[in-house]
Amino acid sequence: MTAFQKRTGIIATLFAVVIFIIPFLFIFLMSVKDKSQASHQDFTWPEQWQLWQNFSDVISARNYMLLLAYFNSTVITVGAVALLILFGAMVGYVLQRRQSGWNKVIFGCVLAGLIIPPAVVPTIWVLQGLHLFKTIHGMILIQVAYGLAFSVLLYSSFIATIPRDLDEAARIDGARPLQIFFRVILPLLKPVTVTLIVVQSIAIFNDFTNPLYYLPGKQNVTVQLTLFNFQSQFQTQFNLLFMNILLVTIPPLIVFIFFNRQIVAGMTAGAVKG
Amino acid sequence: MAEVVLTNLTKSFGSVDVIKGITLTIKDGEFCVFVGPSGCGKSTLLRIIAGLETSTSGTLHIGGTEVSNLEPSDRGIAMVFQSYALYPHLSVRDNIGFGLSLARMPKPEIARIVEATAATLQLTPYLDRKPKALSGGQRQRVAIGRSIVRNPKVFLFDEPLSNLDAALRGQMRMEITDLHATLGTTMIYVTHDQVEAMTMADKIVVLNAGRIEQTGTPMELYNHPATPFVAGFIGSPQMNLLIGDNARKLGCTTYGIRPEHLIPSTTDGLWQARIRHIEHLGADAILHCDAGPLGTMTVRTGGDTDLSHGAQVWLTPMPAKEHRFG
Repeated sequence: MTAFQKRTGIIATLFAVVIFIIPFLFIFLMSVKDKSQASHQDFTWPEQWQLWQNFSDVISARNYMLLLAYFNSTVITVGAVALLILFGAMVGYVLQRRQSGWNKVIFGCVLAGLIIPPAVVPTIWVLQGLHLFKTIHGMILIQVAYGLAFSVLLYSSFIATIPRDLDEAARIDGARPLQIFFRVILPLLKPVTVTLIVVQSIAIFNDFTNPLYYLPGKQNVTVQLTLFNFQSQFQTQFNLLFMNILLVTIPPLIVFIFFNRQIVAGMTAGAVKG
Repeated sequence: MAEVVLTNLTKSFGSVDVIKGITLTIKDGEFCVFVGPSGCGKSTLLRIIAGLETSTSGTLHIGGTEVSNLEPSDRGIAMVFQSYALYPHLSVRDNIGFGLSLARMPKPEIARIVEATAATLQLTPYLDRKPKALSGGQRQRVAIGRSIVRNPKVFLFDEPLSNLDAALRGQMRMEITDLHATLGTTMIYVTHDQVEAMTMADKIVVLNAGRIEQTGTPMELYNHPATPFVAGFIGSPQMNLLIGDNARKLGCTTYGIRPEHLIPSTTDGLWQARIRHIEHLGADAILHCDAGPLGTMTVRTGGDTDLSHGAQVWLTPMPAKEHRFG
């Protein structure tokens, strides 16, 4: 390693620390301060450590709303990601394997799904018409609709790298189309599936705006919306707000730390000949 | 075991006719090789027999049953692919037993059959490995094992040895021939390698541009090629073919003489030529000669020849070995 490489390495590390670690440290320090010190919103060492006190205040706030929010967010995330994987892989598989004149039109629609921003009010009308507004399963379907284009594109480009001989060998072995998909193709999609699980579960778990629009109601609260518990027009409890941020940040952070290698592997899978 | 009968089989992709009316009978237990240049339709024909492509017209019977509209798995066939087509996420054991598990056979029965098949193919030590941990030859044996366990009436091979190196290809040729002798099942084998065709086949079907050029045993095709195409395709090095005025002087439109049927001499002979290049193959030597108006003539002679590059030679065809077309 040359001196230049060493120097740029240190600068890059410091830069990463400033961008990623300092904000997280700030959140942590704020979350353990008492109410008066936290209100200064400065980067100082806590005079009094109130970790456990703040934690229990946040958990028990508004009749243990955070626990309900964790439950709701988990149900929405697990349900939506499961459907995204299933439908994304199935649509990607059919688009890749069954060539027809419609493929270009379908790919156009998929791209439109990626490009065109969703319109909130008409979506609410549709949800109301289907009696899905203010329901958890309605929210799951919304997340599926918003994420499907991305997962179809990811899956279809990966499936293009799986030789068609495998499908044909399975057909000769006596597999029906669904058996070919579930027993041969789907297991081979693991790298993309892991990527999709990580990317989409973080996005859906952290989603603030969509639950705000489509899932009103005290019983339907999701983790990001619990931040409103400690923030109002005239008074904000910054120590509890930051403790809440810390608590809702930890699950996606754990997922990301454990799976970030696979995200890169899945994103680039099929990009070059293996 | 079964006879395979193709009647007036055609296949078109849009306006392109790939298979142009093929009628062929492959007898029960026969080892039939489809051979031809790239794009002649041999793989398409095999895929039609397998049921992976549908024919545009014509009928296909296997074991006396019309199978044209049946699913591949209902035709009683098994296929070995050029790419092996092993399921990468399954072990060798699960790859071989995949078809049986789909047929909902009891697990102990599957285990018994898989282990017996693996023993036949010397795959027992590798049963718990994934395909990526196997060599090319072992992978090909797994692919063969996967087809054997289904107990098919007809085996189909689509250029199964083309991904292997020369030494392994020779070994696998023997293994497949032995397998045919052991099982006695009808086998249809597609290759573009005429050495494979000559060494393995009971019957060779030479295809060209979607049509059958000639059908026969390897030696029939070698000794009595029906067309200049078959004459040029079967035999290595290729037969010397003379056309135009050169052929007309010899009383035909195309005249053919195999390199091994030309006698080189330094003193006298029919055609004068100069040696442009010599390939020493050990037992044999191949002479590439410039024969003036006749063009390039190839001669196979003994490996101990003392002829050298640039030497003047006279070439004389063996009288009974000449081929005259048209």
